Amino acid sequence: MKRIYIQEEYCIGCRLCEIYCQVKHSKSKKIIKAFKEEMVDILPRVLVEEIGYNSFAIQCRHCSDAPCVEACISGAMQKNKNTGVVTCNEDKCVGCWSCIMVCPYGVIKRDLSGKKIASKCDLCIDEEIPVCVQNCPNEALKFMDKDAKEKNLVGNKGG
Amino acid sequence: MKSKNNNRKNNKTFEDNETIDYLIIGNSAAGLAAAESIRELDRAGEIIILTAENYLNYSKPMITYFLAGAVNLDMIHFKDEKFYTDNRLDIRLNTRVKSIDTNKMFLITDDGKRYEFRKLLIASGGRPIIPKIKVVGAGSFDFIDGTNYEKVGGIFTLTNLEDAIRVKNYIEKNDIKNISILGGGLIGLKAAEAFLEKGIDINIIELADRILATTFDREASGIIERKIKSAGSNIYRNNTIEEIYIESGKITGYKLKDGRKMECSLLIIAVGVNPDASFIESGSLDMVKGIIVDDHMRTSVKNIYAAGDVVEGPDMLSGGKRNIAIWPLAVRQGTAAGVNMAGRNKRYGGGFFMNSVELLGIPSISMGITNIGEEAEGIEVLRDFDADRNMYRKVIIKNNRIIGVILIGNIERAGIYSGLIRNEIDISSVKENISREDFGIIHLPTDYKKHLVVGEGIEV
Repeated sequence: MKRIYIQEEYCIGCRLCEIYCQVKHSKSKKIIKAFKEEMVDILPRVLVEEIGYNSFAIQCRHCSDAPCVEACISGAMQKNKNTGVVTCNEDKCVGCWSCIMVCPYGVIKRDLSGKKIASKCDLCIDEEIPVCVQNCPNEALKFMDKDAKEKNLVGNKGG
Repeated sequence: MKSKNNNRKNNKTFEDNETIDYLIIGNSAAGLAAAESIRELDRAGEIIILTAENYLNYSKPMITYFLAGAVNLDMIHFKDEKFYTDNRLDIRLNTRVKSIDTNKMFLITDDGKRYEFRKLLIASGGRPIIPKIKVVGAGSFDFIDGTNYEKVGGIFTLTNLEDAIRVKNYIEKNDIKNISILGGGLIGLKAAEAFLEKGIDINIIELADRILATTFDREASGIIERKIKSAGSNIYRNNTIEEIYIESGKITGYKLKDGRKMECSLLIIAVGVNPDASFIESGSLDMVKGIIVDDHMRTSVKNIYAAGDVVEGPDMLSGGKRNIAIWPLAVRQGTAAGVNMAGRNKRYGGGFFMNSVELLGIPSISMGITNIGEEAEGIEVLRDFDADRNMYRKVIIKNNRIIGVILIGNIERAGIYSGLIRNEIDISSVKENISREDFGIIHLPTDYKKHLVVGEGIEV
């Protein structure tokens, strides 16, 4: 499967990934409208961490043996056997936060805007390229197969 | 609700005495994880699942959500009917195991049927502990215990869906003004929360000097205790029920250890759960309270495996064996058992206790060893306690590795801690950041941070 790879050396901490993620997961899908009217309700599903000049953006890694899927008591968190994408079925989720307890990346958030549910990256399944990757001005996020990754990423050595 | 199955093989009768390839006792987290992983590796083998219960499946941790009305019976299952047909699983409901012959490899169920198997998984879960309590007014018996408590109207346990449905019906049919809960643990408190939302008076009776004594420390228990009291519930600590009063077959009250007499029209007994291994003849498998398994979920008898709440499996933090009855480990153990039963090799790396619970709007997560004396050798405790905001963060460190965490109020990114515990990461270089409220990956030791950020996704 294609995954999002992180090139932290290239991240400038501009947080455009977070903004486009929020717009993508808004009702209106329009940046101005989303920010004026829906902002408080939309969590970005990609997180930028930053200390000084050091920053990176991280979202769900869609792990092969995903601990969040294992821990989910309601059957809401599922890994699609064909695509490999891990998604949370919001109708089934009861907000027990077991997924938050086990995700070693800490990339699942509590969405309290309506019924309590777990909020996480869905890899923008309906887009060819996830919006955080599309809109990164510096290629700090890349969307590619594992094979392509070996050739194309700088931060891949010594890790 | 019985699973529809078009597979011709499933119509055979037991008189065929055909040996079943994979027989699974238990239809919950561990049993179904095992069945799924067996089927991935063995497309042809016959898999039969036995369950004593009458439901296709349901999530045990969610029965208190059902009680509170947050989920209905249509939403409480964690695997749908299609899961059984897709994986060609032959599920036998209402089928309780009576005994297992571990030499001749067959088992007998309560209805007298005999199942011969090549490989067996015991994933029978837990059963509630019922303390023996003196009763007054019952007529035919002087004590209640596990054998007869169901004969008294208004006394219930709360470990399976049938219990929750019975409690719900009892509340609807009787005029219940107050409910008492014996046991201030996770089940008891989730039940209390469900009843508080209905506006019923609650009395919680806890043997220890505080609620949630096994998962929390004093500060954390205090936060939840204050919240529960302010919502209108009474908590009786250092206390227990000495005598139960019964009239016309129903509970009317009880006497506490401290002598107080209480009115009560509904009592939930939630003092704990033991592994459900009652059908295993003593000496036939290595056991303590639960069934002892190795790091491949093998019991002491070849081709018999066990997983989930019924086992005493590898404990990462002590290095020994321990019963850690939590959902995520049941799934992981079940998966490992299934792979090994299907003839491949999957090691179960052990686990440690963890739990996430939200009570009356306060989320909390605890993991690992949370209640250890700070004076113990090599132990260091970092804490950030803000009682006014119901916020608490405690990290317990032993020899520069995190062994336990309690988070109350702010549980964001809690899993980063469980990753640090599981991977035994030396955090000495970043200790000053570990208990920050905005703690994140960026604060982690460089190598581990690099592993998370540029890695492939974790391998369990």
